[in-house]
Amino acid sequence: MNLSDEQVLAMAPDESSRKSGKDLANPAKWVSKGISENALWGECQGSGSKPYQTQIDTGNMAFKCSCPSRKFPCKHGLGLLLLHARQQQLFTVQAPPAWVSEWLAKRAEKEEKKAEQAAAPEKPVDTAAQTKRLQARQQKVSDGVEELLRWIKDIIRNGIMAIPEKDRAFWENMTRRMVDAQAPGLAGMLRELSGINYYQEGWQTAFMDQLLRIYLVIQGYQHIDTLPAALQADVRSLIGFAQAQEELKEQTGITDTWQVLGKQTTEEDKLIVERYWLYGVNTQRTALILQFYVRNQGTATLALTPGGTIQAELVYYPSAAPLRALIKSQIAAAPNHSFQGYARWQEVMAAQTAISAQLPVYNDQVYTIANLTLVWHQEQWWLQDSHQQLMRIRNGFRHTWKLLALSGGMPLHMAVTGRETQYEPMGVWHENEYKIL
Amino acid sequence: MQRWNNIINTALLGTAKKAANSQGLSGPLQQAADKILAANTLDREDQLLQLAAVMYNYRQSGAQPETATVTPIAVCAAETKAYCTPQAIQVLHQVLETDSQQLLQQWLEYCIAANLLIPLVLLPGMLEKAYRNKSLRTMIAAVSGQRGEWLGQLNTDWNFSIVAESIEEPWQNGTTAQRFEALQELRSTDPVMALNWLQETWPKENAAVKKELIAALSINISITDADWLETLLSEKSKQVKEAAIYLLKKITGSTLHENYRQVLVSAIQLHNNTVTCVFPEKIADEIFASGIEKLSSSKAITDEAYILDQLIRSVHPAVWEKHFNRSPKEVLALFAQQPVLNPFIPALVNAILWFHDSQWALACTHYSEIFHIDLIPLLPPAEQDVYSEKYFDEYPDVILQQLLLRKEEWSITLADKVLRFCANNPFTNNQAFMNNCIRFIPVAIAKELDQYTTENANYFDYWKSIKAHLLNLLQVKKLTSDLYDFYDSPDERRLY
Repeated sequence: MNLSDEQVLAMAPDESSRKSGKDLANPAKWVSKGISENALWGECQGSGSKPYQTQIDTGNMAFKCSCPSRKFPCKHGLGLLLLHARQQQLFTVQAPPAWVSEWLAKRAEKEEKKAEQAAAPEKPVDTAAQTKRLQARQQKVSDGVEELLRWIKDIIRNGIMAIPEKDRAFWENMTRRMVDAQAPGLAGMLRELSGINYYQEGWQTAFMDQLLRIYLVIQGYQHIDTLPAALQADVRSLIGFAQAQEELKEQTGITDTWQVLGKQTTEEDKLIVERYWLYGVNTQRTALILQFYVRNQGTATLALTPGGTIQAELVYYPSAAPLRALIKSQIAAAPNHSFQGYARWQEVMAAQTAISAQLPVYNDQVYTIANLTLVWHQEQWWLQDSHQQLMRIRNGFRHTWKLLALSGGMPLHMAVTGRETQYEPMGVWHENEYKIL
Repeated sequence: MQRWNNIINTALLGTAKKAANSQGLSGPLQQAADKILAANTLDREDQLLQLAAVMYNYRQSGAQPETATVTPIAVCAAETKAYCTPQAIQVLHQVLETDSQQLLQQWLEYCIAANLLIPLVLLPGMLEKAYRNKSLRTMIAAVSGQRGEWLGQLNTDWNFSIVAESIEEPWQNGTTAQRFEALQELRSTDPVMALNWLQETWPKENAAVKKELIAALSINISITDADWLETLLSEKSKQVKEAAIYLLKKITGSTLHENYRQVLVSAIQLHNNTVTCVFPEKIADEIFASGIEKLSSSKAITDEAYILDQLIRSVHPAVWEKHFNRSPKEVLALFAQQPVLNPFIPALVNAILWFHDSQWALACTHYSEIFHIDLIPLLPPAEQDVYSEKYFDEYPDVILQQLLLRKEEWSITLADKVLRFCANNPFTNNQAFMNNCIRFIPVAIAKELDQYTTENANYFDYWKSIKAHLLNLLQVKKLTSDLYDFYDSPDERRLY
């Protein structure tokens, strides 16, 4: 397990954990520490009389700590991992103490139970009750969708000129109505609509784009029976119907060596959304792993290392353009820094058009593209490919100078996320090594 | 674009005022629009929304990269130095986390000594740090390599990263501040050449610039500068004239100094171990023209005593050695014992400071019973430690201020005294204070930290956290100094 500082810190749930984790990456803070083939552990002297017991399953990256924090990973987990990343020589290989081996055994037992449960015959399902529940939900959603459509039409009838002057309640009321109508996906899309910067020039296009995305989802839902099965799944997912993960896990997935190209974290009303972007080395497929958890309620369980590599079986959610996936099983893998990707923007655009043809309301994608150069044009930075074609860097990109420093004006292979004509670099291949920005 | 603008314009007005239309559309878009606009089942809002949705999808599916002729950024030249080792980078991360500028300076000193470069991923952050902190600029520029210089061309905030090939360039073309810095730099290595540079440019400069530049001569000032400085006494500008006088007062052999000396040696005499003072009847006007004031502002001091005091401040203490034919120790004893000289002890100490005389400072601290805080910087480091240790318990605050101006590490005994003081004054000597003095605290004190406890129970937790922070600083300091053990091993280096 060779992780860099950046990789460890990228796992932190927030800035304060990152800072505290750094403070704890100090040998003086650890009463004891050790490492074995698949675990890393240490005892950290906190404010209590007993030191906190921190343990990390390095085989299948998981954290546990006896501290009361609900953050995941907690500052102790981060600190221990960071200390190991910095001063490996301080950790002697030894048999894990009882508190570590018991945890590892429990984890293994859990995995076995999961496998057994999966193999066991299913409990009889009360299909009548299930159908009734589903019908009730569909009715609620249909009513909600009708209401949202009327709201949108009112806006269009009266004109969007006055939209920037609308107060918070205007957006919040309809968003809440969608939550009540059990359509959380639409509620999320409305939040994006209200989050548009209405002081910025060109807000009209940004507003109409998002309004039309919502309108398309409504139309899709109202005509769902006429759509292909895969697109039906997309529409349902955009509305907010959850896909049972257990059902997905029963399917055979795609096993590959996956490069974790990056992680993006956003927070909305204490709900933290982590997006991990993956690239399959053999299948050359991209995947998006989503993880949701409420701040301070430590329910996150996935800790992929940005810039790292995993050997995993992924199952894609049904979609006309599959991207979101879940990890059915994973083991740590040797770092893989190989690059494969598109040769030019034209190819990326063709791939995007293919997605758009299948799924008009598609979200950000991840692409790996060879030999992109940063250039300054029309008072902003662009990414130029080897055929001298340009793509705009998304507003608000924070790592331009780091990217310039790494490139020195030379082209670099890059991983970018985005859609249509704006992209954001996530990492680069530099000196034959993938580096996250 | 025009087609989309039509949609936006209709949306802005609202379909109650303007219906959707197919204006400007052609081909398949026209066909789709005709179908939508002809559909009786759709109201005006649906028509606009569906037409807009078609356009949105059309635009999205047909997105294209821009094609334009763009002048590429010049490629950065290849580095000639190696990047620092992963171990050094690791230490740098830890240094940056402490937020201690002193530790960062120490790490940069290592990097410069080892002739290495900072890693590219950290370069923008370090250049930004240097932009915000002028004192780091030269050091960070030295370890930023070609890439730093290249970035400096793209970001004007960072253009200090362009390492000047020679100081002649900023001297010829720089701003007044840059010219002053160049002149100072030359003055510290080649004082005569620096004087020549200034003399050459002098007629071309205005009074304000003259006043700025001449100050550089205070470095390594000597009798060689006196002749030229004396010619400046006829300058038109009062400010320039005053600046020249200020410098002449620092030159022991200058005419001005000689004039002062003559007044003093004729007034103050030693006969049979008794010092007498007869104030001269007439003092030359040039003496007063050079800034010596005639009238005392205090009733307790006579005008004559006031004039003598000013003159004693302005002559080198060695004058008394020669005049009385006594050693510094004996001269000090005379000033202490003789009623005539006793009031002038502060003036004598001031003269030691004015002429930066370490030998006299040493003598004064050895043989005077009075504590002279200002003399500490003039003493050799070991003597500074001894002198500060001696008076620390009596004057902790002022000595601490002075200790922070030092360049060398404190002795263990001194560091011990300082930490005991800090333990009882944790709110003024907090983590930020430790960051600013870690350079002076010896690493060896780390193992003694447990013994520093506060006498005030209310401070216990706060001091504990400061101590933990200090321990971390000391550990990072140790890691940084350990790097010197490796830097000469080429195997340790690699391009990062």
